[in-house]
Amino acid sequence: MNKVLGILNFEPSYVHVRGLEDFRPISATSILGRYRVIDFMLSNFTNSGVESIKVFIKNRPRSTVEHISRTSYNLNSKRGKIQLLHGDVDFSNNDLFNVDVQAFKTYMEFVEVENPSYVVIAPSHFIFKQDFNELLDYHIKSKNDITVLYQKVNNADKQYLMGDLLTIDSHKRIIDITKNRGKTKKAEVSLETYVMSTLTFKQLVEEATMTSSLYSLSDIIADCVRAMKIGVYQHHGYCACISSLNAYYEANMQIKEEKELLKLINDDWPIYTMTNDSCPTLYKAGAKVTGSIVANGCQIEGTVINSVIGRNVIIKDGVVVKDSVVLPDTLIDKNVKLECAVVDRLSIITHIKDLKGSKEEPIYIKRGDRI
Amino acid sequence: MKKNNMVAMILAGGRGSRLFDLTKKVAKPAVHFGGKYRIIDFALSNCANSHISTVGVLVQYESILLSSYSARSSTWGLDSKGGGVYVLSPREKDETGLGLYSGTADAIYQNLDFLDQEEADYVLILSGDHIYKMDYEKMLQTHIESQAEATIAVIEVPKKEASRFGIMNTDKNDRIIEFEEKPKEPKSNLASMGVYIFSYKNFRKYLKDDAKDAQSAHDFGKNIIPAYLRDNLKLQAYRFKGYWKDVGTIDSLWEANMDLLKDNSGLDLFDPDWKIYTDDASATPQCIGSKAVINSAFITQGAIVNGEVDRSVIFSGADIQEGAKVEESVIMNNVVVGKGAKLIRCLVADDVKIPENMKLGDPKSKEILLVSKALINKKVGDDHE
Repeated sequence: MNKVLGILNFEPSYVHVRGLEDFRPISATSILGRYRVIDFMLSNFTNSGVESIKVFIKNRPRSTVEHISRTSYNLNSKRGKIQLLHGDVDFSNNDLFNVDVQAFKTYMEFVEVENPSYVVIAPSHFIFKQDFNELLDYHIKSKNDITVLYQKVNNADKQYLMGDLLTIDSHKRIIDITKNRGKTKKAEVSLETYVMSTLTFKQLVEEATMTSSLYSLSDIIADCVRAMKIGVYQHHGYCACISSLNAYYEANMQIKEEKELLKLINDDWPIYTMTNDSCPTLYKAGAKVTGSIVANGCQIEGTVINSVIGRNVIIKDGVVVKDSVVLPDTLIDKNVKLECAVVDRLSIITHIKDLKGSKEEPIYIKRGDRI
Repeated sequence: MKKNNMVAMILAGGRGSRLFDLTKKVAKPAVHFGGKYRIIDFALSNCANSHISTVGVLVQYESILLSSYSARSSTWGLDSKGGGVYVLSPREKDETGLGLYSGTADAIYQNLDFLDQEEADYVLILSGDHIYKMDYEKMLQTHIESQAEATIAVIEVPKKEASRFGIMNTDKNDRIIEFEEKPKEPKSNLASMGVYIFSYKNFRKYLKDDAKDAQSAHDFGKNIIPAYLRDNLKLQAYRFKGYWKDVGTIDSLWEANMDLLKDNSGLDLFDPDWKIYTDDASATPQCIGSKAVINSAFITQGAIVNGEVDRSVIFSGADIQEGAKVEESVIMNNVVVGKGAKLIRCLVADDVKIPENMKLGDPKSKEILLVSKALINKKVGDDHE
């Protein structure tokens, strides 16, 4: 059997999740009430039988470190290994790593020591379900140098902006990679998931470093479309690229629908996450909840419509939460009306009784705010 | 500083026959409770929260699930070095061969070698089938301060119910002077909770003596406590105030679940300082559909509600379909309540599928209806005749 190393990349520079990103990398951002964004990709790895995973973090590693160290992801606790490799800021307060390639180069010895035949590099700002065995099997059979996972979409004018658009020939080979500037709806977008031999990976990292210190892995791959055999593998099913607050909001709203939720998370493809040992949620007499997903540990007296409610949230009497995403450990006090809002963790909303955004521009309440 | 070494022993071997089909293949302590828990989670979490690191779980009846569940010590954080959860089932021994546990005291007696090996100073005896939150460290403190040989946790019960319990009669310093098992005319209302702390040295001796006595039932309440009293050893009562429930019957199991809907039941599962730990399923968050109606409910992750839920507790993986109505009921793991089905005052066992439009339970009945697979099969059969 081929030894496969999983690499979870950090988010590229085009990812800007307004507000939320000030406190943690996208990988550690809470989603769907009880998960972190990273849980989906890490569960993809472990559900595919990948035993060794390197998680790259650009900066502010605290929340990701805490989360991963306390989640088992169903790996064999001796043979399996999730290693966190993080940069930080230097004394001029700049990020140590501008691009992923710098991080890969810095930590290459940790990749080499595993001696894998193949590496699967996956992004931390995407949510999708993918068996990486299928991807690897295809890669080996197709004799590609690199295989890129992609999806046919018809909302490229609004989502996946500044991501990679692929031009594919009839032999399923990539002939061009361009940045998505939102000019077309229909497009083949890269899911920034690559499989290649370790040797190819090392070569690409070397070449990128020699070309420019600002070159990322996706830049160097775009440069190589003529020189190398770069093929594609199509992903089917739900996919979200969490590159903005709007995309984050939309992903929550889409996945919370029962059908989508159970396709993405089920007994055959569990998504592992940290347990917080919260008790079940108490719906008190008078509570009205519809069209929502709710995590454990909540106490609800008010009304919740079409929303995502995180763990240990308290929703008091007379409250109406509508079309909103409420992150864990939040208190929504009496008679507050929330609509199209993203409420960050540990905040308390008590004095301002009316907060309303729009589905296109959800309002963001800062972490720990008391308003 | 090395603390006093107290080893907990949880009696979890009983059949729990008054739970009928719920305990047909599963020992009572492993029965699900309160949405996401198993009954034994309460005793194990109390141990962990009371800084006890070594816990023996004495199993006998239908123990496969209970043993494998209890053995995962990390669930309750009981996996520190030198500690752990030890599943103690009857074993074959060099001198005595294979012997089943013939009583609560006998179960401990047969594991004295384990307690010797753990160098226990104190032994805490617990039941695996009680719902409560209790700090055993405080109880140990009382035990040490009162220089007792044994300390028994007691709870005040209404006088008219006292004859259902083991009743302790105490002096003004809460020293136990008399113990009466289910007295017809109780002299006090202090009921034993089945939680005991024994100083190990004498405890060991009394268990050995009891084992030699062919007339003995090898039971704590019937034999060990009376022997301590007879020999005038100091027995202290430890008054517990708070929620405590023995969930030995379908009605009491249902009631304890319903208590979770109350604000003031005294069993605060939301308290971050005294969490009840359990095996956390990798379930989805609870999914409340757009047509769902929920009025007073305790629901856990993995449940899907598209119907109506009123004053009920919904466990993991339960699926309440559109048009179904669940009232004053306990819906256990992976139960499907089919479209249009109506349930009132029911306790539905794990994995039962309730057919569409079936009506179960009676709003006026005093007793709670246990809905098992057998009952559904019988009902479906009757309908075809």
